[in-house]
Amino acid sequence: MLPFTVLTAVAVPLEIAKIDTGMILPGRFMRRHRRPGHDYSEAFLHDLRFDEKGVPRPEFAMNMPAYAKAEILVTDSDFGCGSSREGAAYAVMDYGLRALIGPSFAEIFYGNCLQNGLLPVTLPEPVVHDLWAQLRNTPGATITIDLPNQQVIAPDGSAHAFEINQLRKERLVLGIDDIDVTLEHRAAIDAFEAKRQQAYPWLPNAAHVLAGH
Amino acid sequence: MADKRSLYQKVWDEHVIVTSPQGEDLLYVDFNLINEGGSFLAFDQMRMEGRKPYRPAQHLAITDHYLPTANRAAGPAGIGNLEIRKVVEMLASNTADFGVPHMNMHHTQQGIAHVVAPELGYAQPGMLITCNDSHTATNGALGALAIPIGASMQLRHVLATQTVWLKRARTMRISVTGTLPEAVTSKDVILGIIAQIGIGGATGYAVEYAGSTVRAMSMEARLTMCNMSIEAGARIGMISPDDTVYQYLNGRVNAPKGADWDRALAYWRTLPTQDDTPFDRELSFDATKLAPMVSWGTSPEDCSPIDGAVPDPALITDADRRRHVDRALEYMQLTPRTRLADIAIDRVFIGSCTNSRIEDLRSAAKVLRGRKAAVPGMVSPGSTTVKRQAEAEGLDAIFRAAGLDWRDAGCSMCNGSNGEILSPGERAASTTNRNFEGRQGRGAMTHIMSPAMVAAAAVTGKLTDVRRITD
Repeated sequence: MLPFTVLTAVAVPLEIAKIDTGMILPGRFMRRHRRPGHDYSEAFLHDLRFDEKGVPRPEFAMNMPAYAKAEILVTDSDFGCGSSREGAAYAVMDYGLRALIGPSFAEIFYGNCLQNGLLPVTLPEPVVHDLWAQLRNTPGATITIDLPNQQVIAPDGSAHAFEINQLRKERLVLGIDDIDVTLEHRAAIDAFEAKRQQAYPWLPNAAHVLAGH
Repeated sequence: MADKRSLYQKVWDEHVIVTSPQGEDLLYVDFNLINEGGSFLAFDQMRMEGRKPYRPAQHLAITDHYLPTANRAAGPAGIGNLEIRKVVEMLASNTADFGVPHMNMHHTQQGIAHVVAPELGYAQPGMLITCNDSHTATNGALGALAIPIGASMQLRHVLATQTVWLKRARTMRISVTGTLPEAVTSKDVILGIIAQIGIGGATGYAVEYAGSTVRAMSMEARLTMCNMSIEAGARIGMISPDDTVYQYLNGRVNAPKGADWDRALAYWRTLPTQDDTPFDRELSFDATKLAPMVSWGTSPEDCSPIDGAVPDPALITDADRRRHVDRALEYMQLTPRTRLADIAIDRVFIGSCTNSRIEDLRSAAKVLRGRKAAVPGMVSPGSTTVKRQAEAEGLDAIFRAAGLDWRDAGCSMCNGSNGEILSPGERAASTTNRNFEGRQGRGAMTHIMSPAMVAAAAVTGKLTDVRRITD
């Protein structure tokens, strides 16, 4: 997982509320293998970005050249609502975004982002609306997200504090995911397992299936 | 001194490795089931990160969600829809790459994960079992702590560490007492509970089902009940183990044998919750007042006794509930106050992790024996083992003679991601667990009920009180 400390990057506005996970990653892309070079970047918000013929919608901000290198998306409320499809966070990530800013995020989606090194930042609605205006007025403007200090610096220089769970913050800053954290307990897991195996030696496993039975 | 902890608390405590400062417990996973729906995301991400499974033999992947229930002999090449075929093939290649045991489409014990795990003895009292499926609580009927996990991030974590981080849930005991009336099954009991407490009624709770009605239920009836815990909002549903469980497990392929069996039994007998164990919430239901249930709306809580009628939204005082019912009736193309027994159906489906075990098939076959179905439909046994048993008992012949299609094992028309769906505007009587909009296909209308009730609907072509089907 990439560490997240201070990010200064182009931000793109997306003034649509309740972008659900089906819009973020349309169902028909869900059965696709993710490999380097063949991931969900095309699928991300596909039906908003492209028309029925697959032609980019010119009026859609993300398609404008000024926003092409955006790593921050400034959304409206309830981003990530709908089904719990976890591929949605991968789509955001594969597109090249590192952070989302919005008035609210769906809970499951929010958690999935954090587990993959993506930072969702919740700011009050008026602040978000003001960010949209600034980004529209100056396409290609940058926003700075200072995670250690929990601050968003708008294009106009104004600073806005945000809240984040301290454990999640720590892991993002260090770039360690849940698996890395858990494997720090490897000795405890192994000791637990050995004791359990001794107390309950009959616990089943599926090795016989592996062996072809 | 007697242990005043509930079954849930005992099994949870038994699996805690460490506790985080934030109050999350790192729990050891004894056994993890994997299906093809979404799990490829976990394998892909592990491949990208260069991670390996920690204890590969403590996982069992079973192809069930996307696998069509016909034309198996042709292998993956026989799957016409290339997207579906790809998902089926991905589980085979991912499990091969990562050395994870896999029951593929040709395995003699293939079936729906939550049917296979109990019948092969992978699910036992006191175990902690996870699966990337919301109906994992099914296995709680044996006194296991069976927890649904996310198909990508949590599954990846379980694969890479054999553990999962979770916070304790609050505890709820649902006691059901009294003798079940004729033709009322555990499916009707759980639908009755969901109708009363709502689909969010048990959210945040680990539910334990108790009471004389539950004690009198067979193992398979209990599996149906725990299966639908998630439809009441509970991720976990359990039943304290007793002789019904021990007898069911005795002799199963992966159950303990010999001296181990005696040790296991002694341990299992320490697990049941005591009557005076405190719970965060206690509910009780009178089983004697229940009738066979059918759903009329687009949520599992939208169900009523078969002798009832479609509700009239105008009489609903709660504005949110009225809006939901309005929309549900519009989707279901139903007029308020229509008698439920007057609703004509186009198709029937018997199957799913809720109701596809041998007892379910027997109860449907009992109604269909010597009768013709008025509508088309299919029967998908929950596992290849169940299929063999049903065929040995001649149940397949009864279904076929009635005009129904006898299929292979899989999730089939319950989730539809295998391509087995209804046409838009078609209405089905179904033994499945969810009647959401579009669940069985875009524009398809689903009425959920017990296997015998689906069989009765098949016979008459409309929703029918099975007690009225007599010789």
